[in-house]
Amino acid sequence: MLSLLWLIPLLPLAGFLSIVLGGGRMRGSMVALIAVGVVGLSAAMAAAVAIRFIYLPPAGNSFTQTLWTWIPATGFMPEISLRLDALSLVMVTVITFVAFLILLYSAEFMGGDEGYARFFAWMDLFVASMLVLVLADNFLLLYLGWEGVGMCSFLLIGFWYRDSANARAARKAFIVTRIGDAAFVVALFLIFTHLGTLTIQEAAARASREWPVGSGLAVAAAALMLAAAVGKSAQLPLQTWLPDAMAGPTPVSALIHAATMVTAGVYLIARANAFFTLAPFVQWLVAVIGAVTLLLAAFAALVQCDIKRVLAYSTMSQVGYMFLALGVGAWSAAIFHFMVHAFFKSLLFLGAGAVIMALHEEHDIFAMGGLRRALPGTFWAFLIGAASLAALPVVTAGFYSKDLILLCDWTSKSGSVWLWAAGLAGAFLTAMYAFRLVFIVFFGELRTKPGRKPGFRMGAALAVLAFFSLSAGFIQIPPDIVNFSPLSELLETSLPRLSAVSVGTQTEALLQAVAGLAGLAGIFFAWFFFRHPALVERLVLTPLGSAFRRLWLEGWCFDRAYDALFVRPYIRLAEINKDDCIDLLNRTLARACESMHYLLIGTQNGRVRQYAAAVTLGAIVIIALMVLL
Amino acid sequence: MSGAELNIPALWPFVVYSGVVIFMAIGMLGTSYILGERHRGGAMGQPYECGIVPTGSARLRHSAKFYLIAVFFVIFDLEAVFVFAWAVAVRESGWAGYAEMLIFIGILLSALVYLWRIGALEWGSRHTPRRGAEDSL
Amino acid sequence: MVRGDFFILLPLIITGGAAVAVMLLISFRRSHLATATVTLVALGAAVISVICVAAAAPRQASALLILDSYALFYMGLIFAAGCAVTMIAYDYFERQTDHREEFYLLLLLATLGSAVLVSSNHFASLFLGLEILSVSLYALIAFHRERLPSVEAGVRYLILAAASSAFLLFGMALIYLERGDMTFFRSTQIASGVPAWSPLLLAGTALLIVGIGFKLALVPFHMWTPDIYEGAPPPATAFIASVSKGAAFVLLLRYVTLFGLHSGSVQSAAIAAIAVASMFFGNLLALREEKVRRVLAYSSIAHMGYLLVAILAAGPLAAVAAGYYLVAYFTSIIGSFGIISVREGREGGGDAVSDYRGYAWRHPWLGGAFTAMLLSLAGIPITAGFVGKFYLLAAGLESSLRLLVVVLVASSAIGLFYYLRIIITLYGPPEAERQGAAITPAVSLAGGVALTALTFLLIWFGAYPAPLLRLIQAMVGG
Repeated sequence: MLSLLWLIPLLPLAGFLSIVLGGGRMRGSMVALIAVGVVGLSAAMAAAVAIRFIYLPPAGNSFTQTLWTWIPATGFMPEISLRLDALSLVMVTVITFVAFLILLYSAEFMGGDEGYARFFAWMDLFVASMLVLVLADNFLLLYLGWEGVGMCSFLLIGFWYRDSANARAARKAFIVTRIGDAAFVVALFLIFTHLGTLTIQEAAARASREWPVGSGLAVAAAALMLAAAVGKSAQLPLQTWLPDAMAGPTPVSALIHAATMVTAGVYLIARANAFFTLAPFVQWLVAVIGAVTLLLAAFAALVQCDIKRVLAYSTMSQVGYMFLALGVGAWSAAIFHFMVHAFFKSLLFLGAGAVIMALHEEHDIFAMGGLRRALPGTFWAFLIGAASLAALPVVTAGFYSKDLILLCDWTSKSGSVWLWAAGLAGAFLTAMYAFRLVFIVFFGELRTKPGRKPGFRMGAALAVLAFFSLSAGFIQIPPDIVNFSPLSELLETSLPRLSAVSVGTQTEALLQAVAGLAGLAGIFFAWFFFRHPALVERLVLTPLGSAFRRLWLEGWCFDRAYDALFVRPYIRLAEINKDDCIDLLNRTLARACESMHYLLIGTQNGRVRQYAAAVTLGAIVIIALMVLL
Repeated sequence: MSGAELNIPALWPFVVYSGVVIFMAIGMLGTSYILGERHRGGAMGQPYECGIVPTGSARLRHSAKFYLIAVFFVIFDLEAVFVFAWAVAVRESGWAGYAEMLIFIGILLSALVYLWRIGALEWGSRHTPRRGAEDSL
Repeated sequence: MVRGDFFILLPLIITGGAAVAVMLLISFRRSHLATATVTLVALGAAVISVICVAAAAPRQASALLILDSYALFYMGLIFAAGCAVTMIAYDYFERQTDHREEFYLLLLLATLGSAVLVSSNHFASLFLGLEILSVSLYALIAFHRERLPSVEAGVRYLILAAASSAFLLFGMALIYLERGDMTFFRSTQIASGVPAWSPLLLAGTALLIVGIGFKLALVPFHMWTPDIYEGAPPPATAFIASVSKGAAFVLLLRYVTLFGLHSGSVQSAAIAAIAVASMFFGNLLALREEKVRRVLAYSSIAHMGYLLVAILAAGPLAAVAAGYYLVAYFTSIIGSFGIISVREGREGGGDAVSDYRGYAWRHPWLGGAFTAMLLSLAGIPITAGFVGKFYLLAAGLESSLRLLVVVLVASSAIGLFYYLRIIITLYGPPEAERQGAAITPAVSLAGGVALTALTFLLIWFGAYPAPLLRLIQAMVGG
């Protein structure tokens, strides 16, 4: 069973190829069947592999499948090999499963779009790249997947490229994440030159052996990888692309936010945990970045008017939680939150998509309202998603994962009260903006008459995701409630265990209660403000209030700051430098080549006698050279 | 170069003969160059300076047939050389040689059949093979 | 001759027999399809026979030919390339009426000549193979008797090739004079008591390089290439670019390997100079060339220059690198000319780069395949060309030929320009009047199969080179 591992990334890739090659001649239903079918098959394969892996763990709790060596050369063996361990198993299962549901949903959602086949081709490639990324056994293959994900996100965010704003958003996403990618490449060079291998496990082992904790090289490698992760996962300071990335079709946003793109950074840090353990400072930085991002993004989400923008900021904030967990060494808690987040975030996006579709491409939440009765199915799905996001105690999955992260912040040796407090404040804010969204969109009076309602395929995807948004948390229940944690037991076969200070059960229960209360308080405040719009009005009208509102609306004005600090000076520099310096050198080279071309092309005049003369002359020169020298 | 083996005395009439030939050629050309008249202009710059202005182009069109027949002659005549060479050593080369010669002649024969069928041996354009393989070269 | 000799010569016998059979077939029944089929079957059988006789290798068949695994590998490559050219030619000549059957006859003969060349171990067989190849090529190039450029190209090639053959013959004569033997092995070995490098031997070797260099179109013997590539019918050009050059290269590699080229010796310095000049001149000449076929002609000069790096590197890795590069080059160049020929045979139109504007939009498959071929020629990853170039570089670095490696990289960078220019034009906005004029089907079954197979192989060898690499190591590297 495990030897069929290669099929998991190959199936979506095959789907991509067949659509690209034959999509022009296929009917839409055929395209959808292929695109959704291959990912479905891939998910089934992943499930089968998972069952086999869990019940009959392979030796060493990992399974490496070397498919072939690309170009063997002395000292450099770029192997195309896949590695399945607990970490990649969880990732693969979640990715294929969530992607399958999103694709199923899109088969209906994208119906009638002129780029139907193109959409599914890129989506399949997106999934395939992400699967390559998480299954890669060496950094080179991982990087292939990493770049593939970046490229597909570019293509899909700019899917409706005829609108220049979409194309600009796509470009922004590409360029901003590219900064991180560049850091990643440098990290790879560093690892290869100093450790002599690109195989992840081998590199990690050698690093732990050869590099002392806190040594310069370890810090550099970890910091570079952190930069890469920050870019892909939209964390401070490279987070600005994510809110704009909603320019793509809604299922794309769902895929980017839930299963593929933004979680790549989290995966990278978890996968390369050995390097971060060697660089405690960088690891602390991970936690701080996570904490700051989650707070900033949560504040920004509070005031947004665009339904997808709220969700985008919430993703940023939730990935911040994952970073927070990674930063304190709670690797498996981060992956747990990734899994739960994948379910509820895709549910929220798909629900939002259904709303947007019903309201004829309306994104403004203040034009919505009262949709509870008009779209009951969507309402319940969205509510469940929001509740999970808000970590409603006990019944939702989000509660368990977020609680675990908060607990780890408190108990971890590298954790601190401040990180815990940031997480707690974040939980409060999260609940507030999540339910603000629910109340404004689904309660109150009906403002726009809904049109098309979601059909079977969209409904099914929503229902399944809603189910998992509630129940996925039960595979990791805190010990003070029921001692049942198969997920972290599984993950600890490949990720280091959290080195925690033990706290009493009472403290633990108290922390849980506080976290739960924070969420409930957030919901209450959301409800309170929703019931008293005048209060909000007054708050916003105060100078401080309006200033903060504007600041948050623009996502803390990072865009503007970057624009002023980097983009505009860069453009100005580029303009000043339009025709000199480096270019001059290049152009001189090019012109030199060109003039040499014109010099040489004169010899090609079609006169046979001159050709023969050249042959003779050449012969004479060679003979002379060889005989006389 | 193993020049010592050459029999120099036996070669001297040849050397003299070569010398005379070269001398004659140089002498004739040189004499006419020194003694000859020099006219410039008119048709003097053209070939055939014997007084007649050339008419028409020197590039005459011969019928390709002549050329073709000449080529056939050269080809088939040349092949005969190989047969002669074999005939001299027919006993030494034995049956293997015989078989080789058979193959050789067989290939020649099939080439002849081919030429015949495509109409290369036809004089004039009366006969055109089935699929219009013929055209004037 | 014993039975074993006949057995091991089976590939050559099949090809030679097929030539006679095709000739007789043409004389009794002129059918394009039948002729092409017989040719294809014969070449396919030759490929299979190469595999069959491989077990009996190596074997010296008469004094003239040696059939070792090295020769058999390249023979198989040549026959396979012949198959591809046959299919492309079938597609090309399908729309032409005049005497098209003879093309296959000549193709078979040229293939036979190349096969003799790669297995030759003796100056006589070298010359024999070279002449069978050259004489067939004269006719192949001038195959369009009614088109002036074609005839002109044929005559041009005739004159220059004959001249270079003369150089070659003279070189052989000098070497024979010095060594008293025509077999490669003994002519390269230094007999006791004879000075290692007498001037005559050096001059003979130099003349040999001139003769082979002409076939390979190395600077300064390169000037015929663009005119011939442009004038000849595209399938013939595909053959010249791949098989004819490949066979000459294989021969050169064998000779030089026997020779034991010492780095730093005069000979290697001369070859290095030729290599550097070829790489630079080829790429520079192609830079702003407006005709696609001439661009490919100039680029082939550069490619042969790259291959010389393998010759200079010497050693097992170099032989493998050369083998891989040749396979990659064969695949991409036959594919490129296949597409040119498909386009010209069906759509007509000029050969200028600008005539290809928007071609990929009219024929996405062919455009995509052409893109892949060009990228492979440029040496972009996941195409076979990249892996080939990678190994060339590795071989060069292993023998610390720093200068040559630097030149290879620099001139490849120059080369990228003109490949990308063609690719960009392929995807440019189509001209208004051409927009709706897509011809369906864009390619016949034979051409389609050939091009699909070539594109597939191109990607396969680029993404998963291990099996081919193992094969080459087993056949050539030992």
